Amino acid sequence: MEPPDLHARLEPIDDVRWRIPRGALPGMRVDGVVFADEALLADLGDDPALAQVAHVATLPGIRGASLAMPDIHWGYGFCIGGVAATDPADGGVVSPGGVGYDINCGVRLLRTDLVEGDLRGRLETLIEALLAHVPAGVGRSGPFHFSRRELEALLAEGVPWLQRRGLATDDDVAHCESEGCIADARPDLVGDVAYERGADQCGTVGSGNHFVEVLVVDRIEDAAAAAAFGLEAGQVCVLIHSGSRGLGYQVCDDALRALRGVPERYGIALPDRQLACAPIASPEGAAYLGAMRAAANYAFGNRQLLAVQVRETFERVFGAPWQRLGMTLLYDVAHNIAKMERHTLDGAEVELCVHRKGATRAFPAGHPDVPDDYRSVGQPVIVPGDMGRASWVLVGGPAAMEKSFGTSCHGAGRALSRTAAVKAAKGRDVRAELAARGVVARATSRRGLDEEQPDAYKDVDRVVDVVHRAGLALRVARLRPLGVIKG
Amino acid sequence: MPWRTFDHTADVGLRIEAPTRPALFEEAGRALAALIVEDPDAVEARETLRFDLVAADPEDLLFDWLQALLVAFEVQGMLLTRFRVTLEGERLRAEASGERVDRARHRLAHEVKAITYHGLSLRRADDGWRAEVIVDI
Repeated sequence: MEPPDLHARLEPIDDVRWRIPRGALPGMRVDGVVFADEALLADLGDDPALAQVAHVATLPGIRGASLAMPDIHWGYGFCIGGVAATDPADGGVVSPGGVGYDINCGVRLLRTDLVEGDLRGRLETLIEALLAHVPAGVGRSGPFHFSRRELEALLAEGVPWLQRRGLATDDDVAHCESEGCIADARPDLVGDVAYERGADQCGTVGSGNHFVEVLVVDRIEDAAAAAAFGLEAGQVCVLIHSGSRGLGYQVCDDALRALRGVPERYGIALPDRQLACAPIASPEGAAYLGAMRAAANYAFGNRQLLAVQVRETFERVFGAPWQRLGMTLLYDVAHNIAKMERHTLDGAEVELCVHRKGATRAFPAGHPDVPDDYRSVGQPVIVPGDMGRASWVLVGGPAAMEKSFGTSCHGAGRALSRTAAVKAAKGRDVRAELAARGVVARATSRRGLDEEQPDAYKDVDRVVDVVHRAGLALRVARLRPLGVIKG
Repeated sequence: MPWRTFDHTADVGLRIEAPTRPALFEEAGRALAALIVEDPDAVEARETLRFDLVAADPEDLLFDWLQALLVAFEVQGMLLTRFRVTLEGERLRAEASGERVDRARHRLAHEVKAITYHGLSLRRADDGWRAEVIVDI
């Protein structure tokens, strides 16, 4: 596979946007647009991600442009950081490659009323307790066991179903994207193997880049938004990153298998098999969307059950109920998903299927889908960085609807491959290095820590600077890591 | 070395070479096992699973084979490290031996989310067969 190098074809639009002109690759229906500064572009090197942006521009029914956020890097099919909106009324397709294997992978941020000083002398105990109590790592099952019928209900109804079972509060439901449930989910279209893979994994972290992290608010940049979000400097928060576990991976896999031969049947020529797709309006497209939404609801449920276990751990360590510790949910966002949303294009309101593959919804102030208590400032956008430097809370910006279908970045983006990161960690002790920076890191495997070391990621501050300057999402608060558990 | 990893920014690529196509499938199984568990040689051959798969083309067959091994691990906890593969056209029959995960003896390395089609290739090389496959970690 020799992807074309499109660096030479990039044209600057402004200081944070670059165009890959339609025509750079045969079959492109729209331009590609990459949000980045010159340094981030240079960092991409010969990464094939730009070719992937161009490939996505060939999908039928794509509107506006094939977009990439500044945390862009090489994915499969879509790049990570890729955004594409397709129009069902114009033969628009839905592609599992535009969502990824980890359907509704995402992050949620819990507040606490604790300050950094409250953790003095107890941080190691807390992180060890999280490692002991919150299942993380390969093949770990969780304490929550659901019957097939219960799983089907969870897949249909998401967090509200857990709320009725006493495993979530009304406030938890209100502060999830889409209130923790994507409508029109079809649990009946999720295969048996997916149910088997997901049966005892709801409420588990998994491995790879997933984690539970304890952080402190380092700096407030937007006092009004921070006040609306209940954030203050010095406050301790907990960040949870996970997705739909084996159930979602299998739903994606089953969909790709079901789509073998389907693009050809609809006369769709694809530059990459991983972009397999079907018209949104076709039976195959509808089947994928229904199963994908069901997996997305499982993922919302997974992060909710992780939050339950995090709250229980804090209760034990601090000897007080989680409500007294102020452990409410700030927000839960998806960053691997395709959703039907209303957007304005050329002055007309249209319903589009917005694929976000490693990208976060970022609706601005006043948008009806932003929770009531945040609507005057905009939707919280949670951007995890790396375990040594920082993570961010942003707020949906004024330009997001016009420039990026209401989307911002989802993280720092990898700078080193896993192999390169392990090589770079040879002879070093990543855990001790993190400890020297004041971060208590615990992982179920040493290799996992090496692969996820801070240097494996780009500097999240730079990525956030680009989306801030582009007006996609604005800086609210910078958070500094104190401790993390990894799979 | 019959297989090695190659770099993919977020995930891991496997490049597998073997003198024959059945040997290539066996090597691919070993490569996947080595991603999942840190010391596949310590996995004992206590149980044998049988597979019978049919696909439309050779690449799909490789994909389906690796996916079937991944599901055996995910659903049954089976670490499979020893393989005997026979191929007739695009039909694969295989015996795969190994044992269930024992956390006291097996150090698990990666959670393989899925086998991907991105850059999937299987073709004849100068002195045998060669395949590339990227797995999602």
